[in-house]
Amino acid sequence: MKHARLWVGFISLSLLFSAACTSKPKEELPNTLRLAQRGKVKGLDPIYADDTYAGEEVSRAYEGLLQFHYLKRPYVLIPALAEAMPEVSKDRLTFTFKIKKGVLFHDDASFKDTGGKGRELTAEDFVYSFKRLADPKLISTGWWLLDGKIAGLNEWRQDAQKKGVADYAAPVSGLKASDRYTLEIKLLSRAPSFLYSLAMPFTSVVAREAVESYGKDFLNHAVGTGPFRLMEFSSNSRLIWAKNPTYRQETYPSEGEQGDKEAGLLADAGQPLPRADRIEVQVYVEDQPMWLTFLSGKLDLSAIPKDNFQQAITPGKELSRDLSEQGVRLVKSPMLDVTHYTFNMSDPVVGKNKYLRQAMSLVYDSGPLIELFYNGRALAAQGPIPPGLSGHDPKFRNPYRQFNIGKAKELMVKAGYPGGQGLPPLTYITTAGSTERQMTEYAVRVFDTIGVKLQIEAFSWPEFQQAVRNRKGQIWSFAWNADYPDAENFLQLFYSKNASPGPNDSNYSNPEYDRLYEKSLGLPDGAERTAVYRQMVNLLVEDCPWIFGVHRIAFGLVQPWVKNYKRSDFHGASKYYRVEREK
Amino acid sequence: MFAYVVRKLLNTIPTLLGVWIVIFVLFNVIGGDPTYIMLGKHATPELIADVRAEYGYDQPMLKQFFRYLGETVTFNWGDSRATRQPIATMIHDGLGPSLTLTVPAFLVTTVFSVLMGLLVAYFRGRWIDRIVVIGCVIGMSVPMLAFILFGQYFLAYKMGLFPIHGFDPAWPERFHHILLPALIWVVVSLGYNVRFYRTALVEEVGQDYIRTARAKGLGELPVFLKHVLKNGMVPILTNIVIEIPMLVLGSFLLESFFGIPGIGGITIAAINNSDFPVIRAMTTLVAMLFIAGNLATDILYTLVDPRVRLK
Repeated sequence: MKHARLWVGFISLSLLFSAACTSKPKEELPNTLRLAQRGKVKGLDPIYADDTYAGEEVSRAYEGLLQFHYLKRPYVLIPALAEAMPEVSKDRLTFTFKIKKGVLFHDDASFKDTGGKGRELTAEDFVYSFKRLADPKLISTGWWLLDGKIAGLNEWRQDAQKKGVADYAAPVSGLKASDRYTLEIKLLSRAPSFLYSLAMPFTSVVAREAVESYGKDFLNHAVGTGPFRLMEFSSNSRLIWAKNPTYRQETYPSEGEQGDKEAGLLADAGQPLPRADRIEVQVYVEDQPMWLTFLSGKLDLSAIPKDNFQQAITPGKELSRDLSEQGVRLVKSPMLDVTHYTFNMSDPVVGKNKYLRQAMSLVYDSGPLIELFYNGRALAAQGPIPPGLSGHDPKFRNPYRQFNIGKAKELMVKAGYPGGQGLPPLTYITTAGSTERQMTEYAVRVFDTIGVKLQIEAFSWPEFQQAVRNRKGQIWSFAWNADYPDAENFLQLFYSKNASPGPNDSNYSNPEYDRLYEKSLGLPDGAERTAVYRQMVNLLVEDCPWIFGVHRIAFGLVQPWVKNYKRSDFHGASKYYRVEREK
Repeated sequence: MFAYVVRKLLNTIPTLLGVWIVIFVLFNVIGGDPTYIMLGKHATPELIADVRAEYGYDQPMLKQFFRYLGETVTFNWGDSRATRQPIATMIHDGLGPSLTLTVPAFLVTTVFSVLMGLLVAYFRGRWIDRIVVIGCVIGMSVPMLAFILFGQYFLAYKMGLFPIHGFDPAWPERFHHILLPALIWVVVSLGYNVRFYRTALVEEVGQDYIRTARAKGLGELPVFLKHVLKNGMVPILTNIVIEIPMLVLGSFLLESFFGIPGIGGITIAAINNSDFPVIRAMTTLVAMLFIAGNLATDILYTLVDPRVRLK
């Protein structure tokens, strides 16, 4: 009897495994995009879309008032759910948006009045969504976009804090739906970059019925007006999106930048969006499976992992012959970012000694750094503003970023530490990853050439964040990716009112810089503002609160059957992609 | 037996309390502050104060500890600080994929290990024994990561025998995706288990009662199945029961490389983010499973060895 049970167990297991072996993957639609996410998607609520993974997924289902033109560079804002760009008052403080009529939310059970059919979008939905971003109970990571900008919104937030609950019926003077399709936003002061906020996932419009119906579980649902509807969501593993059948009438752009037509990027001009029928997103936290899946043709777009770079790219930085013969395309594009070493300016040693910082900047050679850690995929940064943004001067050469060990040693003498004598080891804080460890070893070697010793303290990511925000450590490495395509997003990193725990983690404070920054906020994009930006960059170059590192260049691989692909630094591009496999 | 179980359960209270104190100190006094992870790069003093007030981080440490203790004993896990997902939902969603991988792999490993242990105990000292022992040592020496990289590259990518990556929640498709990770689990686990079971069984083979059984003319198969296996079951059972709670935790490496949305990945992400509520939930869950496992082992001992009495 006992043996019989054992055999039954064995046979059951064998059947289970044979069933598993013979089960075939489901048939997929021909126009299905298979995309990778490099990290877990923590949720789909727009007010928490603060990382690239959540931002990208949120933008498939949700939309805001504005968006970036898919093809034009530099980036240009165009209407999304707004009928047109806003009317701006003479004092440039009030923006009036007309909302597109007939736009429907996704069909969802939370729309009880319409029997589960998505209802029409109205201006009130934006008022509600913006208030949600300000609701202190929800602790949105996007509140900084509206903080201190819209008249009456901070007061509404403070009132909610006092009462312990937000009153969504209470009016906000600077946020008004003057009729069903008209939204008025009144700013407290001029802020040209405010419009960029309206193209970010944080400010996407949500339906109150869905938020209230799903409660805490709202972040696992996606009920927007966007091009795709959520079919499946497993944050650790995969997301399935299907074309939204009730999507508004939006078409593929009919103009782009130079070279787009030749690259076939205008072939779908005027065609309805989204171009793909379905998107399957797989989360890959490790490089090898993503790379092998791409090579096997089951992933449509891929970055090139550091360890596979030589396999994919020739020494001349072109695509390898193997991949070229398979029709794979290599897309190179500079990213809107900057890496840097940060000096803690509130530290009595590094913060008070400009010559020491300049000497360290002079000796930190970008050439080997770019080859060693970026496989040549980066440009040496001369200042904080990356190429592609107004304010970046391609001809400018930072005098303290031209490797010169002799001059660095002279500056060490001026600093009062000839050959590093008398200088205590500087506390260098870092995270404990393998790449960070290698970069730290590089920094130790480089700074040692002028007698600057580093004392390394490695932390977990939360501990590192805590140390930086609490102004511990004297030097550390960081990177900043643009939230929106405006140099202001980089220059605010040195504004004294943004000092730690804010984004100015170097705690740089220069009244002249602050004055120029505040002046620039009131200026529209143009020659005058660019001139102010240059003055600000000059101050930073001389004061050296950062050692400017690199602006990275993205190398992406695209399968031959993917059409309309153009890399974007911002979210929401997948509605333009199409898949056309050979029959 | 009832009195024994009650006494044993009461004895677990100080153990659990110790676990909770260690976790609390590790992640509240020594570890990083999850506030900065929650708020991202645009944190302001005002926002930080809001978060601290909302989650009670601004309260005295002792008050925080008692609140934490209250939430723990009432199984009020709350929400993840990093993902804001309800922790109960995270565990519920992760448990299925983890167990889909670990349970079949564990069953196969256990059955094979015991059978191989019996086989090499029978052929003790002969070439088959030596080959298996050498194989076990190699299996124990090679890290799991090497098996994963090899399996993914050769068996999945080059030979196309298995999917490279991914997980399908549908049945029975999910088994299609866990075949390769389960195979790697089995290969990695076999080395240690076979050696351990071999040792336990070889010890029994040398006992006087086995010689007696053989002397009275019993065949080798009944000797091994009825006497050697049954008497060698106590250490085997201990090993098996210790492994069972770990099945719930899944395998971080396998889950990461194969895209299985299990508990292993959730736990590691929580540790990396200092996501204290998730870590607390996981440690409590595992501690309780271990305690239950130990209790079950004690009870099972009485079934396989009549000399054992629970008092």
